[in-house]
Amino acid sequence: MTSGFRARRHAAPTIEPVRSRPRRVAVAGVALLGLVLAGCANKGPESTFRPEGKYAQKIDNLARPWFYIAGVVGLLVFGVVVYIIFKYRARAGDERVPRQLHGNTPLEIMWTAAPAVLLTVMAYFTVTTVISVNKTAKSPMVIEVYGQQWWWEYDYTGPYAGIVTATDLVIPAKTEIQLKISSRDVVHSYWLPRLNGKRDAVPGRTQPMNIEADTPGVYMGQCTEFCGLSHANMRERVIVLSEADFATWAANQLKPAAAPTDAAAVRGAQSFAQRCSSCHQINGSYVDAAGKTVQFAPVDASVSLVSGVAPNLTHLMSRGVFAGGTYDLHVDGDPAKPLNRPDLEAWLRNPSSRKPMAPDERRGMPNLGLTESQIDDLIAYLSTLK
Amino acid sequence: MAIIERKPSLELAPAGGVTPRAAAGVFARPTSETGWKSWVTTIDHKKIGILYGVSALFFFLVGGVEALLIRLQLAQPNGKILGAHTYNEMFTMHGTTMIFLFVMPMAAAFGNYMVPLQIGARDVAFPRLNAFGFWCFLFGGCFLYLSWFFGGAPDGGWFAYAPNTGSLFSSSHGMDFYALGLQITGIASLTGAINLIVTILNMRAPGMTLMKMPIFTWMVLVVQFLLVFAIPVISVALFLLLFWRQFGARFFDPGSGGDPLLWQHLFWLFGHPEVYVLILPSFGIVSEVLPVFSKKPLFGYPFVVFSGVAIGFMGWGVWAHHMFASGIGPISVAVFSATTMFIAVPTGVKIINWLATMWGGKLQFTTAMHFAIGLVVMFTIGGLSGVTHAISPSDTQQTDTYYIVAHFHYVLFGGAVLGLFAGFFYWWPKVFGRMLDERLGKITFWLMLIGLNLTFGPMHIVGLQGQPRRQYHYATGLGFDMWNVIETIGAFTIASGVGLFVINAIKSRKGPKAALDPWDARSLEWLSSNPPPPHNYDSTPTVHSIDEFFHRKYEEDEAGELKKVATAEELYEKRVIDEHIHMPSPSYWPIVVAFGLPVVAAGLIFSRWFSVVGGLTVLLGLYAWALEPATAPELPDQHHDPEGPASTEVATVG
Repeated sequence: MTSGFRARRHAAPTIEPVRSRPRRVAVAGVALLGLVLAGCANKGPESTFRPEGKYAQKIDNLARPWFYIAGVVGLLVFGVVVYIIFKYRARAGDERVPRQLHGNTPLEIMWTAAPAVLLTVMAYFTVTTVISVNKTAKSPMVIEVYGQQWWWEYDYTGPYAGIVTATDLVIPAKTEIQLKISSRDVVHSYWLPRLNGKRDAVPGRTQPMNIEADTPGVYMGQCTEFCGLSHANMRERVIVLSEADFATWAANQLKPAAAPTDAAAVRGAQSFAQRCSSCHQINGSYVDAAGKTVQFAPVDASVSLVSGVAPNLTHLMSRGVFAGGTYDLHVDGDPAKPLNRPDLEAWLRNPSSRKPMAPDERRGMPNLGLTESQIDDLIAYLSTLK
Repeated sequence: MAIIERKPSLELAPAGGVTPRAAAGVFARPTSETGWKSWVTTIDHKKIGILYGVSALFFFLVGGVEALLIRLQLAQPNGKILGAHTYNEMFTMHGTTMIFLFVMPMAAAFGNYMVPLQIGARDVAFPRLNAFGFWCFLFGGCFLYLSWFFGGAPDGGWFAYAPNTGSLFSSSHGMDFYALGLQITGIASLTGAINLIVTILNMRAPGMTLMKMPIFTWMVLVVQFLLVFAIPVISVALFLLLFWRQFGARFFDPGSGGDPLLWQHLFWLFGHPEVYVLILPSFGIVSEVLPVFSKKPLFGYPFVVFSGVAIGFMGWGVWAHHMFASGIGPISVAVFSATTMFIAVPTGVKIINWLATMWGGKLQFTTAMHFAIGLVVMFTIGGLSGVTHAISPSDTQQTDTYYIVAHFHYVLFGGAVLGLFAGFFYWWPKVFGRMLDERLGKITFWLMLIGLNLTFGPMHIVGLQGQPRRQYHYATGLGFDMWNVIETIGAFTIASGVGLFVINAIKSRKGPKAALDPWDARSLEWLSSNPPPPHNYDSTPTVHSIDEFFHRKYEEDEAGELKKVATAEELYEKRVIDEHIHMPSPSYWPIVVAFGLPVVAAGLIFSRWFSVVGGLTVLLGLYAWALEPATAPELPDQHHDPEGPASTEVATVG
C-alpha cells in the first residue's frame, strides 16, 4: 500500500545512471528498500494512514489514489531520465553535432493538456470532498475546544454542559461529534491524525471540526501550529468509550468534587485553596471537620494567566495524563492503573523544569516553592478528585 | 539607461571651476580598482554580483550550521542538545536565513552578474542603486544576526504568526530584529528588482528582441516583477508587526477588532510569490545548462518562457493554500485548491521540456550537468508531493508535519539549491577565469544528492506518521526514532558536500585558467573574456538568434550538417574594440546611505537617538548622492577630444 509508493520515491535517487558503479547502486538500493519496508511495518499511533471513522476515511479515499498516480508519474520521469542518460550520452570520437531541434508545438500542447486534464479530475474530487467533510451533521454532540499555552480544554455542551476536562477528550463511539475549536491566546492547531485533518485554533474565531470514531480506544494527537515555548508539549488524546461507558463517565463528571476526609487530604485542600485556586478551578464545596463549608474561590483573572485559565481539576484522577499530555498521571496513561507519583511530585516541585514555560510572563505554572510535606498533602487531596 | 549620446559628462559635471574627481565638493571621488576600497565603493554589476555571492554563501554556511544543530537535537527522542527556546530561535533563523539571506541574494548574485552580460549591456541601468541594494541586504542580514547578541534571536518562526509574535508572547527583542532586518533586506530586493527590470527592458543589445533573450534573463525578469509586487506586501505586514510590538497597535488582536488571520493573509500573499522568486532563477540556470551540455537548443523556448510568465501570474492566486487549516471556510478552500492544482501545469511543462531538450542530444556529464539533472529529478518529487497539498483535505493531514518539510526541501534544496550549484560550476570560469575542480565537484554532487534524499526522504514517512514540525523534541514509541537518525546522518552528508565545495572554491584560486569557452556554450555572455573587462564588451554585439554565441561558432554546410566554423578564441580576436567607453565612477554614497538604515532600526529597539543619527546619515548620504554626477570628470591625462566619435556610450544615468 502506502509503502509501495514511498519505496519507489526513495529508491529513485539510487537508480543513478553511473555505469561504473552498478554494484554500489545495487547495494544502496537493497539497503534502502529494507529501510522502507521496516518503515512500513511501523504503524505509528498517529499515522495518517490508519483512518478511523468516516471523516478521516473520506480524506484517505481522496488522497490515496493521488499517491499512486504520483508514484507512476514520478517513476515515468525517472525512467525517461535514466533512458536519456544512457541512450544519449556523448561517446568518444563522435564529432557529430545533434540536430538543433527548437520545439514541436503539437507535442507542447499535448503535454500541457494532459496534466491539465488529470488535475481537473483531481480538482473535481477535491472540491466535492471539501464540501462533504465540512457538512455539519444533524444534531451532533457539540464540544467546545479551547487551545491555550500549552494544553487543550474541552467544554461540553447540551445535556453534558458543565463537564470541563483537559487534554483527554472523552467521547462515545459511533456518535457524530462536532468540535468547536478556538483559542484563548495564540494560534494553535487541533489535530487527531486518525480521526480528521487538523483545524487551527484561532483567537477570536471558532472553527467547526467533525469527528466520529467507530471503535473504542485511545487516539493520540498534538498541537500542530507553532505556539511558542512548549509547542512540543501540547498533546491531546481522544478516549473513545462505548455508549454505556460514556454515560457512566459523564454522570461522574457532572458530580461536584468529592470532600476530603483523611487528615492529609484536608491539609492538602487547604493548601490548594491558598496556593492553587486562583488559577485552577474545582467545582463544588465541602464541609470541613469544624463544620465550616469550604468553597474554592472562583478563578481570579486579574492574578491568573494570560489565557485566563488553568486546567479544571474537579475530576483530575479520571484523566490518564497531565501537563498537556507531557506526563502520565497514571501508569501507562490509563486512569484505571495506579498513580504515577514520581512525575507528579517532580512537577509540583518545579513545573518549569519538567516542561518549558514562562510563568514570569504569566504563561504556565509557576514554581510554588512547596515543601515535601505540602506536596504529599496536595497529592493526597488531588487523589480524592476521582 | 542605455543612452547613447555624446560626452554626457559635460552636461552632468558641475559647472566649471570644480576640482576634477571631487564629489559633493568635499570628498575626493573614490578611484580604487583593486583592494578593499574598490569593493566598498564599487558600482560595477560584476563586483556587486560577487559581493552578493560571497555574502550569500557565508549566510548559507551559517544557516547550514543552524540546520545541523536542529538535526542533532532531533537525532533521538527527547533530545537534550538545545533547549526549547534555543531550538525555536534556531529553526526561525534557519528558515529566515536560507530564504532571505541565502537563496534570494544568491539568485541576485547570478542576476546581477549575468543579466547585463547576457543582454550585451555594459552595466545595469542604475549602478549606484545596485550597490545600495547590496549593502542594504548585507547590513539588513547582519542586523538580523545581531539579535543573538542583544537578548536573543527571533523565536516566532520565519512565518511569524500573530499573535505569538506579539511582545506579550515573545518578550525578547528577537522579533523586532526580524521585522526591521527583513524590512531593510526588502529594500535591497525592491531596488534590485526595479533596476533589473529597467535594465532588461531598455538595455538589450541591438537585435535582441524579448523572444531572443537568454532564458535565464527571462526567468530573472519574471522574478523581478514578482518582487516588485510582493515585497511591498511583506513590508506592510512587517510594519504592522513593528507598530504592534513597539507602539501598541492592535491589528491582530481580536479583542480590539483585529484579526490574527490578517497577518497570515498578508504574509502568504507575499510568501507564495516568494516561493517562485526562490525557484525561478534556478529554473533559468538549468534551462541554460541543459542545452549547453546536451548540445541542443532549449526545447520549446517560447513554452518555457510563457510557462515561467504563467507561473508569475498564477503565483498570485494560490496563497491561501498555506491556510487550508486556518479557518478560511470551505468555499475559499475549494477555490484555492483548484488554483493550486493548476499551477502545477506550467511547472510540469518545464520539466517535460527539459527532458525533451536532452532527448536526442549528446550529453556531457560535467558537474554542472549533474546538478541540473539532479534538479529535474528532485524537483519532480517536490512537485508531485506538492499536488498532495493542493488536495486540501489531504493537506489538512499533512500541513505542519514533517511531510511538508520534506516537500518544500525537495523544492527548495532539490530545486533551488541544486540549480544554484549548477550555476556555480557552469559560470565559475566566466566569473573568476578559473575552473573549479570537476572531480571534487562530482563528489560534492553525489554527497549532496544522497544527503538530501537521506535527510528529506524519510521526512515524508515521519510526517505521514504524524510527526509535527517546529517541535524541539518528540516522544519515543510514535515510529519516528529510526527515521530521525537517518535524517541527521543525511544532514551531515549534505554538510560534507557543501564543505567540499568551499574547499573547491578556495582551491580554484590557484586552479587551471579557464579557456574562453570551456563548455562550448551557447549564450551571449561567453562572447566576452573570462572574467569580462569592467565594460563587459569591447563593442556592443548585435544579436541575430536566441543562441547567438553558438550560431557564431556553428554553421550548416551544404548537406545541412552543423559544422564548427569558428572557435571562441577566433571570435574574440575578431572583435571590434571601441576606444570611447565611459563607465560610471565608483561612489561612497550607496554604502553610507545603506549603513544609516540599520542605525535607524537600532534606534527603534534601543534608544531613539540612534534613529536620529541614522536618519541624518541617510539624509546626508542621499543629498551627496543626488549631487554627485554619475561619471566623475576625467583626469587630464585621460582626456580626449570631447567631440570624438559618436559611438561613445555611457551605461547609466543613475
